[in-house]
Parts: sequence; structure tokens; C-alpha cells
Amino acid sequence: MIDALLRLAVARRGIVLLLALAVGAFGAWNYQRLPIDAVPDITNVQVQINTQAPGYSPLEVEQRITYLVEVAIAGLPNLDYTRSLSRYGLSQVTVIFQDGTDIYWARNLINERLQDVKSQLPSGIEPQMGPIATGLGEIFMYTMAAAPDARQPDGSPWDATALRTLQDWVIRPQLRLVPGVTEVNTIGGFEKQFHITPDPARLLAYGLSFDDVVNALERNNANVGAGYIERNGEQYLIRSPGQVADIPAIERVIVAHRGGIPVTVRDVADVAFGKELRTGAATRDGEEVVQGTAVMLLGGNSRTVSAAVAERLAEINKTLPPGVTAETVYDRTTLVDKTIATVQKNLLEGALLVVAVLLLMLGNLRAALLTAAVIPLSMLMLMTGMVETGVSANLMSLGALDFGLIVDGAVIIVENCILRLAERQHHTGRLLRLDERLQTVFAATREVFTPSLVSVLVVVLVNLPILALTGVEGKMFRPMAETVIMALLAAVVLSLTFVPAAVALFLRGRIEEKDNVVVRNAKRIYAPVLDLALRLRFVFLGGAVLLVVLCGWLATRMGAEFIPSLDEGDIAVQALRIPGTSLTQSLEMQFQIERALAGVPEVKTYFSRVGTAEVATDPMPPNISDGYVMIKDRKDWPDPDKPKAQLLAEIQEKLERLPGNAYEISQPIELRFNELISGVRSDLGIKVYGDDLGQLLKTGNAIAEVLNTVTGAEGVKVEQVAGLPVLSVEPDRAALYRYGLNVADVQDVLAAATGGEEAGLVYEGDARFPLVVRLPEHLRGDLAALERLPVPLPSVDRGYVPLGELAALKLAPGPNQISRENGKRRLVVSSNVRGRDLASFVAEARGKIEQQVKLPPGYWLDYSGTFEQLQSATQRLTLLVPVTLAMIFGLLMLTFGSARDAALVFSGVPLALTGGVIGLWLRGIPLSITAGVGFITLSGVAVLTGVVMVAAIRDRIAQGVDIDAAIREGALLRLRPILMVALVAALGFLPMALNTGTGAEVQRPLATVVIGGIVSATLLTLLVLPGLYRMAWRPVNQTTDTAQESVA
Amino acid sequence: MKNMNDIPLRAAWLALVLSLAACGSESPATAEAAMAKPEAAHAEGEEKHEGEGEHVELSADQIAAAGLMLAEAGPAQIHETLPLYGTIVPNAERTREVAARFPGAVRGVTKRIGDPVREGETLATIEANESLQTYAVTAPLTGVVTARNTNPGEQTGDKPLFSVADLSTVWVELALFPRDAPKVRVGQRVRVTNPDTKQSAEGEIIYVVPFGRAESQTQTARVLLDNTDRRWAPGLYVTAAVLLDESRVPLAIRSEAVQTLEGRSVVFVQTDDGFAPRPVELGRSDGEHTAVVAGLDAGARYVTTNSFILKAELGKGEAEHGH
Repeated sequence: MIDALLRLAVARRGIVLLLALAVGAFGAWNYQRLPIDAVPDITNVQVQINTQAPGYSPLEVEQRITYLVEVAIAGLPNLDYTRSLSRYGLSQVTVIFQDGTDIYWARNLINERLQDVKSQLPSGIEPQMGPIATGLGEIFMYTMAAAPDARQPDGSPWDATALRTLQDWVIRPQLRLVPGVTEVNTIGGFEKQFHITPDPARLLAYGLSFDDVVNALERNNANVGAGYIERNGEQYLIRSPGQVADIPAIERVIVAHRGGIPVTVRDVADVAFGKELRTGAATRDGEEVVQGTAVMLLGGNSRTVSAAVAERLAEINKTLPPGVTAETVYDRTTLVDKTIATVQKNLLEGALLVVAVLLLMLGNLRAALLTAAVIPLSMLMLMTGMVETGVSANLMSLGALDFGLIVDGAVIIVENCILRLAERQHHTGRLLRLDERLQTVFAATREVFTPSLVSVLVVVLVNLPILALTGVEGKMFRPMAETVIMALLAAVVLSLTFVPAAVALFLRGRIEEKDNVVVRNAKRIYAPVLDLALRLRFVFLGGAVLLVVLCGWLATRMGAEFIPSLDEGDIAVQALRIPGTSLTQSLEMQFQIERALAGVPEVKTYFSRVGTAEVATDPMPPNISDGYVMIKDRKDWPDPDKPKAQLLAEIQEKLERLPGNAYEISQPIELRFNELISGVRSDLGIKVYGDDLGQLLKTGNAIAEVLNTVTGAEGVKVEQVAGLPVLSVEPDRAALYRYGLNVADVQDVLAAATGGEEAGLVYEGDARFPLVVRLPEHLRGDLAALERLPVPLPSVDRGYVPLGELAALKLAPGPNQISRENGKRRLVVSSNVRGRDLASFVAEARGKIEQQVKLPPGYWLDYSGTFEQLQSATQRLTLLVPVTLAMIFGLLMLTFGSARDAALVFSGVPLALTGGVIGLWLRGIPLSITAGVGFITLSGVAVLTGVVMVAAIRDRIAQGVDIDAAIREGALLRLRPILMVALVAALGFLPMALNTGTGAEVQRPLATVVIGGIVSATLLTLLVLPGLYRMAWRPVNQTTDTAQESVA
Repeated sequence: MKNMNDIPLRAAWLALVLSLAACGSESPATAEAAMAKPEAAHAEGEEKHEGEGEHVELSADQIAAAGLMLAEAGPAQIHETLPLYGTIVPNAERTREVAARFPGAVRGVTKRIGDPVREGETLATIEANESLQTYAVTAPLTGVVTARNTNPGEQTGDKPLFSVADLSTVWVELALFPRDAPKVRVGQRVRVTNPDTKQSAEGEIIYVVPFGRAESQTQTARVLLDNTDRRWAPGLYVTAAVLLDESRVPLAIRSEAVQTLEGRSVVFVQTDDGFAPRPVELGRSDGEHTAVVAGLDAGARYVTTNSFILKAELGKGEAEHGH
């Protein structure tokens, strides 16, 4: 079949070239559709169900909302697990589906179930699904600010409330229309509200209650349509406008009549613009601001979407009132552009180096160019492949591409074609006729096709274990393996079709047969060294084995990194304060942090979100703030060469000086991923499930105590569940009995007074603002005043009783939040492990806990954490790595039909790995998965050179040449392709190894491994393999048959 | 022989490297180093909580950056008050109902409602039915005519003709709920405030009604209030603050300095190189100042504004963001 394909390609070369161009054009078109982002998306398939329940405490939220939602969701198909969080005023249930589940399908199912549960929820409470977005979703952030002298139309300065109103009713509606944006989230400022704050004393004086005020407002604020009448042939619509529009209108609403005199709202209450009871705020550089975040729809192209948002925002800016601006503070385009620039630069420079090497070694411009043409073509085919398989372009997926590797197959074919064409020209002594040329090209391609195919297949095979990775590692590295495999397959197809066709079409002139200077010199040096290596083959082999052992030892001494961190340039500082810290206090502390960092010359701006935004995509309590420290371009730094780590250390030092805050420093996207994935992030997490919070905490503490006795445990931590200061107003039933009141009477008064009660809306165009009735601020915050709060008595005219008589006001810490997983309350005890292997630690901890911790009935434990992933990864790999190795060996066996030859070629792999290990060690880079991908690439190259060399030697032996001569001739003949393959692969990675741009840190280990490995692999192939071959195929009479058997 | 024996070895080695590379080594990842950081801080915090010696070290510029304010513990005046609601009523001892001594026809009325009258001034003249003599009905006290139930030509009945009230003093009737009742005694000073005008005046409790009212479960305390300028119109609702106790305590702190740490009230006291929480036993408080019964020496410098930051610093290891 391959023969037929090759024949067709050579015969119909024009059509093949046109086809190649068409495929390239298709790829270029697909490139437009390719989702591009800086980093791979590692978010699992999840749907957040947020339910706002203003005023509900964690316990009530759990009991009345979270539980019901969880029950409704339970049993959905493809459900992986659910977890939930019940916090003040918010229930969040996160439903995680198995990987690969269609999110829209999942949301439909959830929507259906939520419809059913709605009737059981408290009235007015509506669960909503979070935006259809992933951890990469927050692509664009802006803050709003007003110049100090800017004034609103009514002459007052632009305060946080006014800016928020602009954001809510002018900017947000427009940005939501940008294609690809699924949500625009707002935090900061105050939602504009009309506050009616009755004075309890004045209410008492008129014998009125909060409810009377609320009812009065509700009954005096509506427009009514009343049908139509016909008059003189015309139709008149009837409407009765009755909405209140402004503060004076509200003040004139009549609440009651006393002695024939109307009592208006103004008589009992003050009316003013008030501040909502907000759950979050935003800051920037030590000032309070209003911040908006554009969230990208899942699967969007973050670069295009965020550029579109930026453009729209610029337009909106023109229409904002004078002095008010919305300034971009975070734009994903910047990061993506920088990353793409890094990848492009690496790929471009790599490609140029490859062309240069080809030119130098082949000494034929046409051949070099047509070989290099494989690069863009395979790249464009890859684009098509990526779009079709849904792999997005990012640092990881494109990071492992090496053009050297891609063209390797083509290089070998072109090199052989030139060799054979030149030979034949030399042989016939004239330019070849067309049929001769085509015949030669076909034969030459066929001759070396097997080694080049084998090498590609080997690389594909070694990538297979990566495809088996699951979870976060899988999401990060599977695309990498997928793109490499796709690019290689594209290259194979091209070298079967395009390359021979192009060679046949373009290499028609006189072809230089003689080696050029480089190759000649190389051969001159290689020949004597080869002789030496053959003579001292045992010494060389011994040296090689020693090297392998040494490097094996070295590898175990090296540090390891599970997943490399992608440098996003900017820094995320999550500041954490003790639970129960108020929003105002938290803001004050955030201002201090921001002012402290304002002095760092590298910092462009620092903005933060404190608490939860309007759409609770990230339900943070007010004691936590997510801060984004935006860093200037390096060229604007006082010292552009300052390492990022040093800057980080400086920032951290400044932060540590501020008391009261703990910090977690990460990067914007990383932070978001952490929040969304949010499983147990330490090495070992022990989840205690059960019903009673106190018992959970007790068990948790007992487990923590046991864990602390296990050697290697570090940072043992029990999840914080308590600690939120709660003011309990506990009704005294005896007192209620005396006054003839119900519990609800007391609760209603309290809720209306402190939480506020909504009494309708005020409309201004599209904008609508709530009317809220609640106690004046100075009384809400005063416990003594709350105790005095009059509760109206039903029986006595104008009678009342103070709240303090009916209920006990207790200040006590209560549950901060209630976490549940799979429908049960849960508490996590987590621990990291230092200086000990995880598996034995977990085993010991398990044993000790089972012995020493008594669990009450109905309580159970679950062990999870990083160790779980490690275990599953190890299990998969222990199965897959040997299988893969066997497959490679089988492939080589098929190629050579000899176990011995296969083993010989295989021997190049460990030798190649030594160089990679040494390379990493020299540059002080830890082992990581990216480095592992480098090793994988390397084994492919090592096998390739080995196959080329062994195939050449076998050809000679098959022609009846004596074994020593065959080895020598074969090695010298294949010096050029081996050097070329090695050089292009190594040089193709050189820019990656040296680049320092954004995203380079991911590619650096990979490139280092490949370059180091290729140097060693080539040297060892050239020096050790011939000797090994000689040893393996010593003259028949000396061969021990048993040994052969053992190899087979 | 060698080349053959080492094939499984090589395979194993490759497997080792691949698995090492693909899943990281078994030693924990540096990616988690950042995570480990607050946990380490937590561990320290835990240790601190164990002993008495917990302590926050802060330099002068850190104190300034954190916005901490200091004050010295010392004597202070503490006013403890009890807020109540009440109604202005006329002083019942200073109102008079004026009736006709002998039944007869009213011949003339000289005062209208609201007219001020002096004691002995004529309010009306009446012709007695029996003697047919006219006589004057006079004001029994100096005050204001608050009701007039008669006009010239009418017959006097049994009902009073006038009400005269002396409004130079009024009463404030305060509703005492069961919990407050024991605290209120005759003689306590009371500040009465009009919630609308915010005007206030001071009076004194002159009487606490010994009977309670069944329907509202209240007792009434009566305050005598000077009303020479007629600001206090009977019938108005007012708020009142009964001064329960006013005394100078030898040692007091500002109330905002008090924080709760592990269920105990503490005050952060400045030490040589920072601040330490001192558990204190607190006495009476008026919202602004709180008396210290034990745990603090006079002259100690303690943190007032932003004392919460120090509490946060002590407990920051516990801060976390769980989902």
C-alpha cells in the first residue's frame, strides 16, 4: 500500500503539491477558529448553583436551601460528585460531572431538577446556575473611577453608589452583548437603594409598626393599566400612573390616619439614598472602586473576546459622563499575546536554524527549502487537527513541538534521495531522464522510509502513557501529547506524499554528489574515532553503562516538580484575615496592603476584590480578598534584569510587615483554577463525614492529633468551621406567652429592623432601585438600641414591648460555613508530607487513625489528596509503561525481523536519557512532567538514529560484506543523516532552551532534556552502537546460542 | 553476555525515568510550596495559643502603617444609663377642674382656651339660680385654661366649667418593663429627649407606681420635668435615659480596645517590642469607657483604634479560604 502511495505521489506530483497547498489553506482557515489561550484549561466539568438568601445564617441556608438542592441534584447521570457550601446569605452547590460530559446537556438536566425543587424552597428564593465559564473565564477586568472635581448632574461628587449605578445600568448591559461574553460581574460600590429609616420612638408615638410602613409604600407605588375605552371612534388606553419617582414623593406617602390627620412617611422616618448590606467590595491602590469582570463563555477564544471587550469598553468610555472613566486593569490579551510571541519566536527561530542546518549539510538550497516546507505544512495540518479534536492552542499544547523532530523523517528521505540521485547521475554520467529520476526518487524514499516511519511511531508510542493521565495532570499534558502525535502523523503523511513529489518535481538539475566541507571534515574526524571505538568496544560499552548508572543515581537526587507553574507575569495575592472580620475592617486592612505595595517601582497597579461579587462565582467571605498585583513591562523596571523571584520576595517582605493578614501568593489564572477545582490541595486530606458539627470538629481534632504523631507530617490543619461571631436573638417563649405574641412577630420585627425589608422598586428608565425599610444605621449597630426595639402588641392599642423583654441577645461564635460533600456534612483534616514518601505515610496514618480514633455511629472517613492522584497515575503508568516499551520493541522486531537488532537499537534509549539528565542537572532544573515529555521525544530521536545506522549496516551485510567492513562503511555512510537528524532536532529546540519570555519556563526543561539527550544519543550511537553491533554479531562460530535465546 | 543481561535493566530504567518524569517523584511538589506557607504560619500561631506568652512584635513604622492608636489606662467618669420610652402628661397635682359653686346661668365668660390665668383671676360670672346673685368663678392656680365647657347663657350642670393647668412643670410617664423595673428608683436623674427636635431636658424620678399593668406588663415611673418655656406638650412621645450610676472609676479603658480572644475579654498592651493580649475583668461600661476590675495596671499603654488588627495578627494562621 505504501509502495502504491509512493508511486502515485511521484507520478502525480503536481496534483499532490496542489493537494498539499489546499490542505495548508484549510489549516490556515482553521487557525482562525482555533481557541487560543495562554495556558491549558484544567477546570473540570462543573456547574455552580448559587442561591442568594439575604439574611439567612449558615445553618438556615444549609437546612432550607442547600440540602434541598443537593437532594434534587443527586442521581443525575454522569455525576461525579457534589460539594456545597452554606454561608451567610448564600448557598452554593457545585455539581461536578465526569470529564467529557457536555456542559449544556448537564445544565439542562440541572435546570429540570431545579424547577422541581423550587416549590419546596422558601418563597422568594431562587437557585441560579453560575455562568457557563471555566477557570480561564475571567479575561477582562476594569475599575471605575471619577476625577476628584467631576460632579454628577445634581452637583454632588461621584461617589461609590453613583459609580456603581453607572456600572450596573450603562456599562454592564453593553458589555454583556459582546460576543463570547457570558457574564459581566460587578463588585464594589453600593447598589443604589432608597432607604426609609423609621425611628422606633416616632413609630411608637403613632402606634405604627415597620409593617405598616412597608405596606403603605407597597400600596402607593404602582402603575395600573385599566383596559381601554372607545370614544368618538377613537380608542383610548387607560392607565393610572402611581409610581413614586423620587425622595419627596416617597416622603408624602400616607402611612395612617391619627385623629383625622394623615401621618406620612416623613413623619415617622427619614428617607435618603442608603447603602445596601453588601457582601463584597473592590479596591485599587488604596482606594475603594467599582470593579467589573467580563467572563468568557466556555470554549471561547480569550484573545479575541477580551480584545472585543476592550474595544467596546473604549467606546463606552466616550459616552460616560465627563470625569468618569472605566479603566482596564487586567486584559488577558496581553498575556496571550506575550505567550504566543514566545511560542512564535521559538518556533520561528527553530525553523530558521533547521533550514540553516539543512542547507549546510545537504549543500542544496532547493532540497533544504523543500524539506523546510514540511514545517509550515505540518503545522497547518496540525491546526486542522486541533480544531477537529477540540484541543486549544496554548503554551502547553504547542510547547513540546519541535520542528527538528517534525522534519526528521523528511530529512532522511530527502538526504537519501539526493544521495541516490547523485549516485545515479554519476553512474550514468549525465542528467537523468524523467522516468529515471522518478524511479530513483521512489526507490530512495522506499529505502529509508521504514526507519523514518519507525522513529515516528516510536515517538507516538512513548506519548501514549501521557494520554492515560487523568485529572489536572491529564488536562495539562494530554493536549501536549496530542499535538505532538498529530504533528508527527501529519509529518509522516507529508513525507509519504509531499516530500517525494516535491523532490521529483524540483530536484532536476545537476546534483552535487560530493560531501560538502562540513560533512567531509566530520567524516575525517569520525573515521579514526570509529576505528578506535570498534577496537576498544568493551571500554566504550563499559563507560556507557557506567554513565547510565551514574545518571540513574543522579536522577533520583534531583528535585521534582509535579506540575510546572506557568509564569503569568502578574501576581495574585490572596490576603486572609481571621473569620468574622467585618467587610469594613477587611477593606481597611486591604487599603493598608495596597498602600504598602504602591511604593514598589515594578508594580503598575494593585486591585482587589474583598468578599463576594454580585454573581457569586467565587463565594469568598468578607475576611478574604483576592488581590491582583499588576507588574509593569520589564523595560519599565528600574532594573530590567531583576529576577521575578526576587521581586516576589520583596513584595512578600513588604506584605509580611503588615500585621493581621496571612497571604497566599499565586497568579491570577492559577488562583481562579485553585478556586474552581478546589479539591483537597494538600498531600493528604482526611474527610470526616457526619451530622453534628461539634462532633465533626472533635473527631477532626482527634485525627489531627494522631497525624501529628506520624513522622513526616507537616502543617496539619483542621478546617475552620466555627468562628463567625453571631448575635443570636433567642425568643423567650415564657415572655411571649405573657404578651400573647408569636415567635414570628419578634423575628419579623428584628429582620425588618436590622436586615431591612424591601417595599417595592423605584424606576428610572431601565434602572430600578429597591425601596428598603430598615432601622437607622446608628441604631442597627447598637446592641442596647436593639434591645429597646419596640415590638407592637396585638391586644393593646399602641402597646409595645421592647425586644429585650422577649428575647435574649447572645453574642457567641457560630458556624462560619458549612461544607458538605455528596450530601453530607464534611470536615477536612489536611496534612502535607515532608521528607518521606507519601504512600508509606498514608498507610501509617491510616493504621494509626483506625486504631486510635473512635468514630461514633453514622460518621465515616474518606482519604483523599494529592496522594490519590499519585496513586492512580502510578497505577496507570506501571501498567502502561511496560506495555509501551514492549510495543516499541515489537515494532523494532517487525522492522528488523531480529530481536538482537531490535535490542541494539533499543540500547540507544537509556544512553540518550543520560544526556537529558545531565542537561537538567547542569541547569539546575527539577524533574517534571515537561521534562518527561522531553525524555519521550528523546527516545524517539535515539531510536531513529539507531535504526538508520543498524539498517545501513544490515544492508551491507546482506550484500555479503564482511561484518567489520560493513559496520565501518555503514557508520560512515550514515554519518550525514545521523548528524543532520540530531542537529535539526537539537537546534530546533535551542531557542526554547534559551528564551526567557513569558511562558518560557514551561518549555525550558523540555528543550534542555532534548538538547542534552541528543548530544549524548548521537555520540553514543556513533561510538558505542558500532561496537555493540560488533559484539552482538560476532562471527557465528563464537556466538553463544543460549544468549541469543535469552534476548529473543 | 553483558549486552543481553542488561536489556531488562534498561527497560526498567526507562520505565523508572518515564514514571519519574510523568508523575513527578514521590517527594512533595514545589508547586505546593506556596500553599504550605500559611499552614506553617498556622502552626506557629497554634504554638502561640498554647502558652501565656503570645505576643505580637511590631516596629514603630508597622504600628503607623496598621493605624494603631494608643492610650493610657487611668481613671474615668462612667455614666451608666437606661434608655426608656415615655409620654408627656400634665402634672396631675397642678391641674384643676373649675366648677360652679352654685348652679345658675352663665352670664359672662372672660377666658378662652389657652389663655394664661393667674390665681384668683375671674374666669366667668354666674347668676345663681336660687339667690339670683352673680358671683365670679376664679382660677384656683396660675396656669393655662386647657378646657372650657361653657358659654354665656348656658346653665351650669354638674360638669366642670373649666380646666386650668399649670404647665410650668410636666410629668413624663415612663413605661418600665419587668427587667428594667428593679433598676429604677425615686430620685434618679433622667434626660428626656424629643425624638423629632432632639431637644432635651433633665428631670428627676419622683414616683414609681407600685402597680403593674396586666396587658402591657409594665409599671410606670414618673419624672418631673421643668416646662417653663412650654416645650413639652402633654401627649407627646419622648425618649428618656435614666442615669443609673455615675461614678469615677479608678481604672478604665476605652471600650473599642476590648477584643474577645478564646472567649475571654482582652486588651492589647504595649510591651517593650510589641503588644501582648492581657485578659481583663471588666466592670461597668457606658459605651465609651469600660471600667477594668482586674488584669490591668494603671498607666499601662493599650491599643484603642484598630485593636482588631492585633487580634487578626494573632489568629491569622486560622484564616483560610475553603470551598
